[in-house]
Amino acid sequence: MAKSKPSPLPSGTLIGGYRIVKKVASGGFGVVYQATGPDGETVAIKEYLPASLATREAGSLLPQVAPEKLSLYRLGLKSFFEEGRSLAQISHPSVVAVLNFLRENETVYMVMNYLEGASLQDFIIVARDQKAEKIFRESTIRSLFDEILRGLRIVHQHKMLHLDIKPANIFVTDDNHSVLIDFGAAREVLSKEGNFVRPMYTPGFAAPEMYRRDGVMGPWTDLYAIGACMYACMQGYPPNEATQRAENDRMSTALKRLRGSYSDNLIEIVEWCMATDPDKRPQSVFVLQKELNSADELRYTKLSIGDKMRLQLDSVVNETKKVALRVTQFGRQVS
Amino acid sequence: MRYSITQDSHIGGRRLNEDSVGHVSTERSLLLVVADGMGGHPKGEVASKLAMGVVFDLFRAKAQPELPDVALFLQDALMQANEALVRYARTEGLSDSPRTTLVAAVIQDGRITWIHCGDSRFYLLRDGAVFAKTLDHSLLERDRQLGRPPASQLPGYRNALFTCIGSETRPVFNLAGPVALRGGDRVLLCSDGIWSVVEDANLAHALLGKKIKQAVPQLVQQAIRLGGPNGDNASCIALAWGDEDDFLPTSRHDFAASHGQGRAIGRA
Repeated sequence: MAKSKPSPLPSGTLIGGYRIVKKVASGGFGVVYQATGPDGETVAIKEYLPASLATREAGSLLPQVAPEKLSLYRLGLKSFFEEGRSLAQISHPSVVAVLNFLRENETVYMVMNYLEGASLQDFIIVARDQKAEKIFRESTIRSLFDEILRGLRIVHQHKMLHLDIKPANIFVTDDNHSVLIDFGAAREVLSKEGNFVRPMYTPGFAAPEMYRRDGVMGPWTDLYAIGACMYACMQGYPPNEATQRAENDRMSTALKRLRGSYSDNLIEIVEWCMATDPDKRPQSVFVLQKELNSADELRYTKLSIGDKMRLQLDSVVNETKKVALRVTQFGRQVS
Repeated sequence: MRYSITQDSHIGGRRLNEDSVGHVSTERSLLLVVADGMGGHPKGEVASKLAMGVVFDLFRAKAQPELPDVALFLQDALMQANEALVRYARTEGLSDSPRTTLVAAVIQDGRITWIHCGDSRFYLLRDGAVFAKTLDHSLLERDRQLGRPPASQLPGYRNALFTCIGSETRPVFNLAGPVALRGGDRVLLCSDGIWSVVEDANLAHALLGKKIKQAVPQLVQQAIRLGGPNGDNASCIALAWGDEDDFLPTSRHDFAASHGQGRAIGRA
């Protein structure tokens, strides 16, 4: 049976001068609420309450933590606190702002800007369903990522990595700004079991080094995810998972299909960011920004008839391979 | 594997919800279950929960992360669920054992295999219609298959089953598949509280080409409305195969990694 999630705080609860309005989301780390501040302003409050470590009965304020989970709970709390403190130092319109930090009810609360709008993922899905030739215009993609990269650069300057950049964590506000959200508080520590730490990742957006024990993560790891987000903005779908690319990399074929719809420069930038070898990617946000802003005259290479035929042939061959594989696997099972 | 799943269950007009519905998965294998505890025997709600629990436990033990043999797993799971109920009746000193229907489906390698015992159903919906479904182990369905008129006109006749999970006699079951899934396919497992009031064609209409996240609760509400004030429990789980929800949530590595603490905010 699935464990029940900890109950959210009831509306009207006061947390250090902020009044809870309602729960807006919950995740592995805890709960996010909409709340009203002392001056009547609307804020978002993130409460540390990991479902894997703590429970809370309906109507109760204090979480219950089993004695054997207490050390992990405290470790996660410390990490959540540190994340908040780090984020609080960053003041940039493209990074979610931490306004306040509160200790109450034996847990910690992060008070943040309340954003109104929708995630980039929501925008991609809506655009995709309209079946237009392009998901987004090139100029839209460029200006959106220009903003996000400005924010990410500051994050990296503060010696932090986001490590879960994806369309769901890029928020597009109703006044047309993009903001990097969810710095996944203490998420690795939370999933610690035994003596091992299990990092979190999102298939398609996680760089190959995030799948390796000895993988060295750096700005290039976040930039892989940036490339993957751009890819999703162009294709309408996330790229293949890094593990799948290691077996059979269809990236260059997939990108070739976009030629003509998007400039060669943008397609090359995505390919660069998403290089499987971390050394072959842009090593800093600055280098990537420079390339993204350098293209003054964009070249669009249309596919020749020969190219189109080769692409078509390629998919036929690949389909056949898949069918053949399935048949042999099936045969093996029967025998 | 790209899919989305939604499940819902409603007590209807009854005193107890004896249906159990759930799913469990690894990165390469997925199991869906619906069980409908039988009235007229003790503890129907225990029966369906217990049977589903046994099936889930076996899946967790065997799917590493793939089941070595899907068909064998489904048969073992069904038989073990049966044994668990009979054992439960003995240890609890019940004069009669709790009983339940069971329908379970496994998706692995893009193919679906399913098993059922009783009158909870499996549907595979494709291209606007029912592509495959189970045939109930009911007296009424047997009459139909033998081409004879129903042996009884009594209202309870529709619910009479000739086999179930939890009886001392060996359960009768049907195993079917594997069928390769196609993008856009919908899989539905449901209790009779759904299919007895919503026709097959309407099931396909309710689920195909829609976000199942919205469609499933609507289907259950529809069944409850049609079932009336004394209506049966209505439960179902539906799966949309393919791109409906292709942006996946953040996951946790299932390998044991050993790098430092608090790397979520790593050092740049």
